[in-house]
Amino acid sequence: MPDSIERALAAALTDACYFGQILIRKAGENGFVLCHRDDQGFDGLRLFQNPEDAIEISKFDDIENYRPLKTAPNLSRGWQLAVVDLSDLRRALDYFYPGRLAALVAWKENRLKTTPLRQTLDRQSGMYRIAAKISDAQINSLVGDFCRSDGGCLRAILWKRNESGIIPSTKLPPEKFEPAHDQALGPGPTTAAIAVIPLLCQEACNLLVAAARKVVKGE
Amino acid sequence: MENRQTTSALLIVGHGSTVNPDSSAPTLAYAAEIRRRHFFVDVACAFWKEEPSLRDARFFFDDSAIKEVYVVPNFISEGYFTQTVIPRELELGGRITNRGNGQTWKYCEPVGNDSEMTELLLKRAKEIAPEAPAGSTTLIIAAHGTDLNENSAGAAKREAEKIRKLDRYAAVLNLYMEEPPLITHWMKLTDTKNVVVVPFFISDGLHSYEDIPVMLGIAKKRSALNLSAAARDEIFRQNPYKIGNRSLYYASAIGTEPQLADIIIKQVARFDCGSEGSLPTS
Ligand code: SF4
Repeated sequence: MPDSIERALAAALTDACYFGQILIRKAGENGFVLCHRDDQGFDGLRLFQNPEDAIEISKFDDIENYRPLKTAPNLSRGWQLAVVDLSDLRRALDYFYPGRLAALVAWKENRLKTTPLRQTLDRQSGMYRIAAKISDAQINSLVGDFCRSDGGCLRAILWKRNESGIIPSTKLPPEKFEPAHDQALGPGPTTAAIAVIPLLCQEACNLLVAAARKVVKGE
Repeated sequence: MENRQTTSALLIVGHGSTVNPDSSAPTLAYAAEIRRRHFFVDVACAFWKEEPSLRDARFFFDDSAIKEVYVVPNFISEGYFTQTVIPRELELGGRITNRGNGQTWKYCEPVGNDSEMTELLLKRAKEIAPEAPAGSTTLIIAAHGTDLNENSAGAAKREAEKIRKLDRYAAVLNLYMEEPPLITHWMKLTDTKNVVVVPFFISDGLHSYEDIPVMLGIAKKRSALNLSAAARDEIFRQNPYKIGNRSLYYASAIGTEPQLADIIIKQVARFDCGSEGSLPTS
């Protein structure tokens, strides 16, 4: 029996849609074919058939650098992954963009709790405790740079800077906070030609916390 | 142990890494293996330094059929992560946490606490040095030591003591990277012809690919994480290393043993029994 994530995924899927940098197309009765969205129509892609192959495909970028942030816009190209059904599709997408489908379902069901950045920073202990000392101005420029969709991260930010609801960074365009916007398209009001399943950020990731620590330490 | 297929989910927690591409691989592989056994309604992973994060995991398992979620830390010992970070990030109140949605989250012990770790160490040691008679061999359990995050030194010491009691090896030593007795002094600390070294880590990484080999004198510093996976693994494939009249055998991290999947499941049984549980049949 499909669980709630598979049900939500099935509802969100159209014949072809984008999920971050991935193009998902329906194939045959139950199957799906995935590839990098910029590889659509290319011949000679390396073919994969196991959802677990997504682990290796998503591990390194095109110049063999390890990708610590899976939602960074540096997914490698040149591959095609065919999966047999919805459950394998969900598995593969969970490897490409870990945790994003669960966040999406929680968001659609109004269960997704967002955490203001200040709260995330104040919660840290050990070597990350010092990150809370970052100033508002430093947050403004750090987030504006670190999370930007062109070169940083493709998630739409749902969290605020603090509990009074201030936006995390004035340096980011308004659509960075808009789940319906196709972040991989870049800034501006352009909408994608095909449906987009959003990648959501409900709370600052560990990489941003680590970057805040570096700012405070002046590294 | 009853079959949990209909009401229980499993969350395996790993450390993960922002620089080491191999850090999360064993945890992901064990999750896939346990998923294949259809023993839980759902099996997921979460990491401290990788995605999905521990915070993300709070939104997993929303299926109303799931009544309990077992959280098993894939860590070599108790310590800062198991005692502070994991409970805080997952919002666990203790061993048992009742969530607002009616679910009970059960916080199990780290895999490194399991008595079977001793068996695994012995198995790994035998596998990499099948021709070395235990009677003329020293087994070295190589751990991190002076570790604010995990009590790896204590765990390695405990394992060494257990294996010593079996009286199989000529000697069993627990040596550390950062506190005495140091791995670097292995030559002085051993006097047998054969020496077998098993790194007591949950995944292979800079420590097992490079730091310990350099301390043992079987590799030079070379930024192993920039090498290809095959090149990194070479260090485990050239056994035995002949150093003077000694033969040194070097294993990969103990946490990469496939049997760890069984040990993860066993932590769930142990939680429910409040002690060492028997392995479920799948
Ligand atoms: S904080 Fe969120 S948006 Fe920013 S880089 Fe991390 S995951 Fe991406």
